[in-house]
Parts: sequence; C-alpha cells; structure tokens
Amino acid sequence: MGAIREWCRRLWGTFRKAPEDAEMEEELRLHVEMVADELQRRGLLPAEALRQARLQARGIAQAMEQRRDQRGLPWLEDLLQDARFGARTLARAPVFTGVAVLTLTLAIGANTAVFSIFNVLVLRTLPVQQPGDLVQFTWQYPGDPPMNFFSAENYATYREHNTVFADLVGLSPLSFDLEADAVTGNFFQVLGVSTAAGRLLEPRDDLPGSAPVAVVSWGYWKTHYGLDPKILGTTIRLDSVQARIAGATAPLDHLQATVVGVVDPRFSGVILGRKPDVWIPTALVPGKLGLSLMARLKGGVSIRQAEDQMRGLDRDRLEGFAARDPQWRRVRLAVTPAATGLSTPLHEQFGGPVRMLMLLLGVMLLLACANLGSLLLARAAAREREMAVRVSLGAGRLRLVRQMLTESLLLAIVGGLAGLMAARVAGGPLVRLMSAGARSLGTRPPPEVPLDISVLGFTTAITIVAAIGFGLAPAIIAFVAAPAASLRGSGATTTSRTQRLAGRALVVTQVALSLVLLTVSWLYAAHLAGLRDRSLGFDRNSVLLLSIDTSHVGLSREQGRGAVKALLARFEALPGVRAATVSGMTPMSGAGGSRFLTVPGFTERLSARHRVSLNSIAPKYFNTYRTPMVAGRDFEPADESGRRVVIVNEALARHYFPSVDPLDRQIFLEGDPQPFDIIGVAADAKYQDVRVPAPETVYFDCFRQGTMPSEFTLRTSVPPESLADDARRLVELAMNGARVRGTRTLAEQIDAAIGPERLIATLSGFFGGVGALLAAIGLYGLVAYTVARRTREIGLRMALGATRGTVMRAVLVDALRLVAIGVAVGAPLALWGKRVAAAMLENLPAGGFQPILIAAAGLVAVALVAAGIPARRATRVEPVIALRSE
Amino acid sequence: VYSIGVSNKDAPKADVLQGTLDIMILQTLAMLGPSHGYMIAARIEQVSGGRVVLNMGTLYPGLMRLEQRGAIRGSWGVTDNNRKARFYDLTPAGRKQLQVEKQEWNRTVAIMQTLLNESK
Repeated sequence: MGAIREWCRRLWGTFRKAPEDAEMEEELRLHVEMVADELQRRGLLPAEALRQARLQARGIAQAMEQRRDQRGLPWLEDLLQDARFGARTLARAPVFTGVAVLTLTLAIGANTAVFSIFNVLVLRTLPVQQPGDLVQFTWQYPGDPPMNFFSAENYATYREHNTVFADLVGLSPLSFDLEADAVTGNFFQVLGVSTAAGRLLEPRDDLPGSAPVAVVSWGYWKTHYGLDPKILGTTIRLDSVQARIAGATAPLDHLQATVVGVVDPRFSGVILGRKPDVWIPTALVPGKLGLSLMARLKGGVSIRQAEDQMRGLDRDRLEGFAARDPQWRRVRLAVTPAATGLSTPLHEQFGGPVRMLMLLLGVMLLLACANLGSLLLARAAAREREMAVRVSLGAGRLRLVRQMLTESLLLAIVGGLAGLMAARVAGGPLVRLMSAGARSLGTRPPPEVPLDISVLGFTTAITIVAAIGFGLAPAIIAFVAAPAASLRGSGATTTSRTQRLAGRALVVTQVALSLVLLTVSWLYAAHLAGLRDRSLGFDRNSVLLLSIDTSHVGLSREQGRGAVKALLARFEALPGVRAATVSGMTPMSGAGGSRFLTVPGFTERLSARHRVSLNSIAPKYFNTYRTPMVAGRDFEPADESGRRVVIVNEALARHYFPSVDPLDRQIFLEGDPQPFDIIGVAADAKYQDVRVPAPETVYFDCFRQGTMPSEFTLRTSVPPESLADDARRLVELAMNGARVRGTRTLAEQIDAAIGPERLIATLSGFFGGVGALLAAIGLYGLVAYTVARRTREIGLRMALGATRGTVMRAVLVDALRLVAIGVAVGAPLALWGKRVAAAMLENLPAGGFQPILIAAAGLVAVALVAAGIPARRATRVEPVIALRSE
Repeated sequence: VYSIGVSNKDAPKADVLQGTLDIMILQTLAMLGPSHGYMIAARIEQVSGGRVVLNMGTLYPGLMRLEQRGAIRGSWGVTDNNRKARFYDLTPAGRKQLQVEKQEWNRTVAIMQTLLNESK
C-alpha cells in the first residue's frame, strides 16, 4: 500500500519538479545554517563554523541530487530526457528522419494490414466456449471445392451413432430480407453462447409442432429496438427474397416467429463475413433443409480418431451416391478444426496466400531494419565526436547505448503509429481485392477487419523488435566509442574496423534479403501473367456482361423467349455494340453445370467416367466471345424445334470421338433417354477455372431449354463499361419488371476469379520493388560515405597517375563485390523461399534458377546505378584540392 | 562513529539500513513531536552517543520517502530561534507503521539473541 503510494507520488514528482526544487534546496541550506549556528555556539568563528558545517553536510549539490532521485523515478526521468533529446536530434535531420519514418511506415503498415487479415482468417477464434474442440465435416467431389452440406437424416445418423463427439450441431444459412440462420435446437448450448436478454433456442424449440420462436442478434436488437427489452415476445416476420431453400419444392414466402431472446453481443454466427440477424429452429422451416455440420469433440478424442469413425458412419451415404456416379467412391469425409468458424471460400482461397504474404512481409521488415541500421550507422559515424565528448564528460557508456536505443525506439514509434494508420487505410481495399475473388460469396459484403487487441499487440511487438533490430548496430558503436582517437583526429580517418565491417555486413544483408523478395515476387508475377495469358479460348477484352433478374417479369416460356430475343436485337442496335448474345452462364462467373455423357460405341472404365461441363447459349455466342468454330455450324432459329442438337468443344470431340468425325454423331446425357445430334465443334474455351485446361463442354441451344437465360454478353467497339448505363436503361425499358442484377466487364470477372494470385502478385511485386529500392539506398549511402572518406586517398592516387577510369572501376568493383556476396548469401535463402512459396500457392510453377538469376541481374543493375552516382563523384576529385583539404 | 550513508555518492543500498533509518526517524518524531531535519539528526546523534551521524544525503531522501509513503507530513514553520524550517510530524499511518516495525524489530532482535547466545 505504502509502496504503491510512494510510486504514484514519485511518478507525479517526475513531471512537476520546478517549484519543488527551490523548496528542497532552501531546506538543505537552512540545515547547514543550523549546523553552523550550533558550531558557533561551541565557540567557532562564524566563517569557520560555516565551513565546518558544509564539510559535515558533505555537499548540498550531492544531497539535492539524491533527493531528486528519491522524489521522482530516475529511470523515467532519464527516459524522458533521452526522448526529448532524441526528438531534437531527429528534427535536426529532417531528410534522414523522413526516409526512416517512411520506410518504417511501409514495413510496419504492410505487416499490420496483412496481419489483420491473417488474424481474421486464421487466428481469431469464435467467441464460444473452448473453440479449440470444435470441428467441421467436409467432403470434396473431384474437381469441386470442399462442401459442408448434409441432409437432416445424415445429421441424425451421425449424432446417434458416433462415440467421439460431445454433440453435433447443424445450421442452414437462409436469405430472407433479414439474414437468418436455421439451426438445430442444441446449437447454442453445444457452442456455449451466452444470452444478452431472454433465453436462447433450446432443443425443445426444434421439435416438430413446437411454438415458432426465434432469437435475434444484439446488432438487430440495437438497430431495430434501441436495446428495448420489449423486443421479447414480439413477432418477427421474415419475408422471402426469392428464398430458395435446398430441397424445398416451393419457394418460401415468409416465416413468423416470436422473439424469445437476444444473443451475446460478441457472437455473430459461425460463418466468416456473415452476420445473421435472426436464428430460428430448423423445425420452423418447411421442407428439407440441407445442413452444414459442426461438432464438439469429446475430451481426449483426437481429430484423427473422430475422422476415422465418421468415415465409417458416412460409408452408406457415399455408397448411395456411388451407385449412380462412381466418382463418389473417391470422396472421403474430412474432419477439420473449426475453431475459427466454418470454412468459407475466403479461407479456402486466401489461407495460403495470406500466410505467404506474412512470411514475405517478415522478410521485408528485416530488410527495412537492415536498411535503417545502415543509415543509423552512417549517422553514428558522423556523431562519433559527439559521443566522444559525452564520454569524456563522464557519460556512462550504457547511458549512451540507452540514448541511441531511445532514438531508435522514437523513430519506430512514429513509424509504427503511421503504419497503423496506413494499415487502416489500406485494409479496406485489400479486403475488397480479396473478396472480389471469393466466388460464391456473391454480393455479401466483405468481412470486417477489426482493429482488435491482437492486431495492436502485433504492431507493438514488431515496432519494438524493429527498434531493437535497427538500433543495435549504432548502440554498439556508441558503446565502443573511443574518445581519445576521435577527439584528436579530424573525425575523417578514425572509423573503426568494426564499424566498417558492420556497415558492409548490413548492405550484404539487404542485398540478400531483397534477392529473396525479388525472386518470390518475380515468381508470383510470372505465375499471374501466365494465368492471364494462358489461352482462354475467347477474347477477354471489350466485353460487357449483364446479369438480369427475370423472376418477377411473369412471362410464359414462349413470351419470355420472345422478350429475350427482342432485347438482344435492341442491344445489337446500341451504338458501340458489335454483337450480343445470352447464355446460361458466363466464363469464370462461378456458376456452372455438369452431367455424365454417354456416346454409343464409346466405352470407358467406370472409374474413369467423369462429367462434362454444360452451358446453354443463344446463336452468335461463339461470335460474340470470338471463340472460333472448328467444324460444323452455329445454332440457328430453326434449331428451336425439330431434332435436338448440340455443339461440343474440341476437348470433348478428342475424348469421345478420337478417330471419327463427331459431326452428326449422337450423344446421350445422363437422365435423358433422347439423343442429341452434334452439329458443330467449337474451339476449347475456359469454363469455371482459369487455372485448369478447358473442360469437355456441351453447348445447348438456350431457346430450347426450360429456363430463361439471364446472362447477357455484349461485344463492344468502345470501352465496355461506358455502355453499362445505356444497357441498364434498355433492359428496364424493354422488359417490364426485369431488374439488372449487375454489370461488369469480362476482364474484371476473370481478374476477380484469380483474386488470390492477383493479390499476392501485386503485393509481393510492390514489396519486392520497395525492397530493391531500400537495398539501393543502403548501397548508395555506403558507397557515397566511403568515397567521401577516401577523397584524400583518391586524390593521392590521381596525383600519382591513376586515371578517372581506374578510380571509377575501383569504386564500382568494391560495390559490386558487396552485391556479389549478398547474392551468394541470398541465393540459398531464395531457393528455400521459392520452395515455401510453391508449397503455399497451388499450381505455382516452381521454376528453376531462372527467377533467382533474373532477380540477381535486377539487383546488379540497381546497384550499378546506386553506386555509379558516388563513383562519378569520385572521378571528379581534383588531386590538388583533395590533398590540400586538411 | 557509525555513519549511515558513508559517502554521498553511494546511496544507502541495503534494505536493512533503510529499514533502520525509517524506524529511527519515526521513533524520534514520536518522542520529539513535530521537528525539522536538523533536530532529528541531532537527536539521533545524541541518543546514539555520537555513533550514528546522519548526513543530509541520507536524511532528507529518507524523510522524503516517508512523506511519499504517507507516514509523515511536512510543513514550513519557525524554530525557537526564529529561523524558518520545515517541520515533520507523524501521521496516524506513521504511528501505526512505527508500532508494527518496533514489534518486528524486537522480534528479530530476540531471535538473533537466542541464536547468538546459544552455547554448544
């Protein structure tokens, strides 16, 4: 108690010292006078008494110093003093400070921005009890992304027969006008979510025929009811936005339920980026619901054991599917951790890239530290005399080290704060860049990237680590500062060997690290360029895509067909439109369909059977996409009746008709006893995924299909986005009740589909460039500094007959030697980095030594420029002036 | 002569020393009532028969620490000789501390005596 009080007063005392100082001194002075009085009473002369008193008191100044130490907290005072001094010193060198802060802002900002995404995707666990015990079930049909989708019967079976889980829960995200999750009755109990008001859903609410109840999110309670407890007992109505529930026969119009509770504010569902407003029991939803499943492991059960048992329980389900489709035999149920919630496409696509970026940015931070270290080292050399003077005046060496570290920390803190702000600014676009590529998330808003305690902690940690990282070298130099030498000399020739070596080592480090960065970023850039270039099978430029919602138009099939054709005609009449078509899906949109194909006379092993991709298209589709027809003809209006015809692509023709002409041959599609005649063969074109070769594809005539095609494609002769508004207006004018869901260019759609690659290539390219720039600055600094120090020597050499060429060569060779060492050190690191990069991003071509060679060549070029400037300066040294200069 | 805080440069380090200084000051104040620094030092010197001489660099930081801990309170006043001086007085907390520390000290002394006088 007393100690805390003392500490508080001392803390207080640290900041207000001026008024008390005088009082303290007064008290001491009076003390001495009293001693003198006493001595005088004992018979000493006044002057002698005072002298004796002072002697006895042993110095007012020292006593004052000790009192001051007791009054405040000396270490804090020193720190503040160092900080003030450091701030003044930094302010005197604005260019140095500016470059240093900018470098730190970039490094810390980038690390923080990516970490905050890493945090959301990988680190942040659900706010439930023991999230580490939660697992999810997924299965993956060959070629499809992993799915967590099961029937209510599957759920019941697993729940009844497993012995490895404490319990299982199921949920089904529904889209009404509010975001609603239908959950099994035990959902909240099993997760261990607490309530903010009322009660949560319970198993009894999920029994057939029980009263319809719902719980709402805290956010909904706040925005709609202002946290009024009257919400309990009110009726909530969920209206359909063409709510289509898996398995339900009729679209669901609306649901009603009584609100019985509000969930804890921290809980916002188990799916990243989705924040349900309402949770309702599954029993409330008519029809069959597909469920995503999560489970809580029993204590002591490993994921491995759980997976083994679940695979046994899942065998019947898969056998059932495999009876129709042998591919299902290759499907295995997987049990994976779900501590961060259900896995989403964001996790699937960006988990690896974000980890990779974290690694890259770690390298970048190291590089920035090495760079700042070398800058500070050069400054330390310039401040050698200052240090020497301070040591001579009695400053402790450790005190000087502390001073240098305080300055570094000051720089780091400024950089860290700026970095934090930069990260907040950059965070939004980064997430948008990511979610643009996260297919099947649809129009859902990107997940928020909160500034939470772990992000702040991370930034603080890297700031401090950086400060120590780049502050260490100058601190050591300060420690070994030899006063005599540098005071005696002019300061121009006294650089110690250690110091020169340290400077060179830091430059080598920078070259090595930027080689790693450049290699990896070259790898990603090449990969991305490859994806973009890899022949798509269509022309991605100058194409506008329109997605139209015709579900409220209310036309018959016949009328709809007419309306679509009329719309196409009007599109084609738009100035700037070359061709227009419509199809069931557009390339790389995330949509797609596939079925099994049978060709008479063609047999294949059951296990080799696979589906072919489907699309339904209007005439002129191939023309609009500029996909050449290889044989046969396009669809014609006459094909809408009469014999059923299809167009196939070359891949399909190659596989099913290896030795015969496919034209006029027949194919059968699974579940359809009638044959189709092949009337044309189109060139291969990418379908859903840029990364894989064009799949075998069958094109139907969309005007013969049951559903109305809704994806319009316009080939334009002007920039496609400039036509978006006209096209929109035209749709509303031409088709009463139709709504344009969205427009985008084909190029955008394809770029979005390669979002992870784009993200990582863009960022790593940027940081590779920054890294090379930093290395160049470091090298330039070192060479310029060396040249400045060697001015006299160079002058002497030139006086003795060295030509400008020899001088220049000497300086450049010296610089290039450093670069060569850096490359030699960096190459194994870069090789390792390449392997790590390849492991983290699917389909990354590992490449040979080529990326490293290219990066090294780039570095040498940059180094030549960086060293060339001071080298030229060296050749301009006038021997006479240089020799006279001291 | 046993001087506490031998040199001004090295502040009293051992906690034992600090403890004894605290208890000496508190006890002196309990005896004398409100007193200034010189009085305290003189009294301690006198009572110890000149064996404990407190110098300013020890005494005043000690007073300050006790004040910061709330054991004593200082205020400016005038001495009998009409000199200005800062007077220190025990607070209730200081009295309590003195009681506690006295007991502690006595206990320690008793233990030490028993230990040291133990014969083989």
